[in-house]
Amino acid sequence: MLRLARPTKIEFIRLRRRLATARRLHRVLRDRLLILTQELVALYREVVEHRLRVHEEIVRCERELIRASSYVAPWTFEEFSNVKIASFNVVVGSRIVAGVKLPLLEHEIVEGRYDPSAYPVTLKEVSECYEDVIKRIIRLAEAEISLLEVGKEVQKVKRKVNALENLIIPRLRATIKYLRMKFEEREREDKIRRKRIKQVLSRKARI
Amino acid sequence: MGEDKTLEYLLERELRVVNSYVAAKRKTLTELLKEDYPHILTLSGDIHMFRKSELMLAKEVIGEDAERLMLPIYIELIPAQTVTTGVIREEVATKLISTLLGIHHTTPLYVYPVQLAELRRKIGTLIQYVVSPEVLKEIRDYEEVC
Repeated sequence: MLRLARPTKIEFIRLRRRLATARRLHRVLRDRLLILTQELVALYREVVEHRLRVHEEIVRCERELIRASSYVAPWTFEEFSNVKIASFNVVVGSRIVAGVKLPLLEHEIVEGRYDPSAYPVTLKEVSECYEDVIKRIIRLAEAEISLLEVGKEVQKVKRKVNALENLIIPRLRATIKYLRMKFEEREREDKIRRKRIKQVLSRKARI
Repeated sequence: MGEDKTLEYLLERELRVVNSYVAAKRKTLTELLKEDYPHILTLSGDIHMFRKSELMLAKEVIGEDAERLMLPIYIELIPAQTVTTGVIREEVATKLISTLLGIHHTTPLYVYPVQLAELRRKIGTLIQYVVSPEVLKEIRDYEEVC
């Protein structure tokens, strides 16, 4: 319960107003927490999935690379890697989820001009495999940073929701209840006093 | 700071956050597809970017209606429900979402947590959650009274 200087009607009205604000704030925060929690769970799943896939794909690519290197000369490798991709850019943007600014990474790959028949097919397969790995690593990076950001925000919002739910709102309710009881008691006392006065007055009138 | 002021401050700040990620001006899908880096500006001045692959997916699904689809799609959360329920009120948006989810097309369209998760996975950057205007209206009314 809150400490009150004076249990007055004005204080009572003020407390009720404060309770209304607290309830509304709680509702807004709870909605935001719901969205954020859902986002957190989805991001966590995404991170786990991407991480597993990245490991699997790296192993596969290494295997392909070893296989290709058994019959392709090292300088062909180098030459192919120079002509295969003209440019590889990562665009860093942002997206906003429930008030939290999260990174958004998009890759842009510009294929180079080369004669595919001049290189073995295995080389193309290896390069495609590594391209997939890089794309997935970009998505993983995005998901991991987002997970951290959303996690921090969830922690903050949860603390506020808990404070409202377990501390502020119950305390306000208890104080309002106490004041209401106090007023009722005062009213009862008044009633009894008035009755008593009436009795005394009627007794005096009889005398 | 008294408790009264703290609560008011928190509420005001929370409402600012709630409204801040709403787009200052929404764009149509066609407009966004023409841009190199499809994005919109939010009320807080931040940039919200859309994933090109998701825009292409939306274009594939709704085809001709791309001119009428305003992005981002707002999903209003209904606080009165026990589970998080979202409602989509725009005709073209409901068409896109019902097709993506494989559900019956109605306007307004109600979506539940499992469907929200699927939507997030398929068109995560195209959707934005907004706190139901009813709640905001209630808060505004309350502020007027006070």
